[in-house]
Amino acid sequence: MAVNKNNVKIHVSHLKKNFDSLEVLKDISTDIYEGEVVVIIGPSGSGKSTFLRCMNKLEEITFGDVVVDGVNLSDKKININQVRERVGMVFQHFNLFHNLNVLRNLTLAPVDLKKASKEEARQQALQMLRKVGLEEKADAYPSQLSGGQKQRVAIARALCMHPDIMLFDEPTSALDPEMVGEVLQVMKQLAADGMTMVIVTHEIGFAREVADRVIFMDDGYIVEEGTPKDVILNPKEARTIDFLNKVL
Amino acid sequence: MIQILHTYGRLLLQAMGQTLLLALCGLFFACILGMFFGLLSVLKNKVCNVIAGIFVDVIRGVPMIVLAYFVFFGIPYCLNNMMGVSFTLTALQAGTICLALNCGAYMAEIIRAGIQSVDIGQMEAARSLGLPYWRAMVRVVLPQAIRTMIPSIINQFIITLKDTSILSVIGFPELVNSAKNVVAITFMSFQTWAIVAVMYLIVITILSKVARRLERRLNRGR
Repeated sequence: MAVNKNNVKIHVSHLKKNFDSLEVLKDISTDIYEGEVVVIIGPSGSGKSTFLRCMNKLEEITFGDVVVDGVNLSDKKININQVRERVGMVFQHFNLFHNLNVLRNLTLAPVDLKKASKEEARQQALQMLRKVGLEEKADAYPSQLSGGQKQRVAIARALCMHPDIMLFDEPTSALDPEMVGEVLQVMKQLAADGMTMVIVTHEIGFAREVADRVIFMDDGYIVEEGTPKDVILNPKEARTIDFLNKVL
Repeated sequence: MIQILHTYGRLLLQAMGQTLLLALCGLFFACILGMFFGLLSVLKNKVCNVIAGIFVDVIRGVPMIVLAYFVFFGIPYCLNNMMGVSFTLTALQAGTICLALNCGAYMAEIIRAGIQSVDIGQMEAARSLGLPYWRAMVRVVLPQAIRTMIPSIINQFIITLKDTSILSVIGFPELVNSAKNVVAITFMSFQTWAIVAVMYLIVITILSKVARRLERRLNRGR
C-alpha cells in the first residue's frame, strides 16, 4: 500500500521526555505519513517505548511537539480522549480487561463513547474477531485465551474504534515463540490494508519484510533511519551495526 | 439462664436490633467516606493524596472510645460553651458519626490498596481507547478492584459490628449497654454475658456465611 507523503499523520519535532532527572528522550524529530509502516528498533532503555507512548500521550511530553492529525498533544487545552479514539494502541502485555469477556472487551469503548449502538458494536466486534480468526472466542474470558489469542483480541479491540493510526508496543515480546507468527500475520494484513502503523519490536525479520521505514534509536536519540534495506542490510552508524550484530 | 431469657429475652433482642441499626447506619456512611478518601488517595494529585493520608492517619491514631467521647460530649460542649451555638447530638447520631469515621478510614485504606492492586496496564488500555479517566475507573478498574477488596471489606464490616459495643459508653441502648442493665438488676453476670456473646456469635456467623457465598458468586464469572 502506498505511503501518502502529502499527509503527515504524526509530526514530531524536538521531543524531549524526562522522568524526574532521567532524560529518556533527548531530541527526537520525525514525520510519520499516512499509510506508512514505521518500525522502531533499538537496545532496551533506548527510549523507543517511551517515544511510542508520547504519540498518544500516555506519557506527558516534557518539551517539544507531537502533532497527531493536526492536534498538538503538548497543548494543554486539547481533548486527549478525542485524539486517542483515532489512535489505537497494542501493548506488550495485552492488557485485555480481565473483568469482561472478549466481546465486551471489544464493545466497551464504542458503546460507552456512543460511537455505535449495542447491536452495531456487537456486529462490528464479531467482524473484527473474524478478521483476527477468533470469532468462536467471543464469549470466552481473557484468562481462557493463549497469549497469541489475547494479543489478536487486543488488536481487534483497538480496531473497533476505527483508528487512523495503530501503535504497537513490543506486541510479540511477551509471547511464546510459537505464537509470535499468528500475531505478526494479523499485523501484516493490517499493513497491507493501508493502516498507518508505528511498531516497536525486536522482530528484525518482520521489520525487514513489512516496514516502509526503520528507525534505529539509542540513548534517547534517533541514530539512523531509512528503508529496511538501508538500515538493516547496510547500516552506516557504528551503533546500528553493533546492535544488529548482537540481535541477528 | 432460662429465667433471664424469659424475662429479658425480648429486651435483649430489641437491643440487638439497635446494635444492627447503629452498625448499618455507620457502615452506610463509612462506605461513602471510604470510597471518597480511597479514591482521593489514588488520584494523581498530591494535595488530594495528602488530605486522604491525614484523614486516615488521624482516625487510625485515635482509639474509638476517645472518638466517641469527643464527638458526643466534646463537640457539643465546644459549640455550646465556647461558641454559643446551641447544639446536641443524639447517641445514635454520635454513634453513627464515630463508626462512619472509624470504619471509613479503614475502608479508605482497603479501597486504595484494592485499586492499586489492579495492573496499571488496565487503566492505560482503557485510556488508550479514548475512555476518560473516571469512565475507565468505573468500567474497568473498580470492578476488578472490588473483587480483591471483598474479603477485607467483609472483615471490616464484622469488626465495625463488634465495635458498636464501644458506643455503650455514650449511652446508646445497644446490646452491651442493655446487658449491663440486666446484670445490674439480676446480678446474673455469667448467664447474661454468655447470652450476649452467643447472640453476637450467631449474627456474625450468619454474616460471614452470607459473605462467603457472595464472594464465591462474584468469583464465578472469571
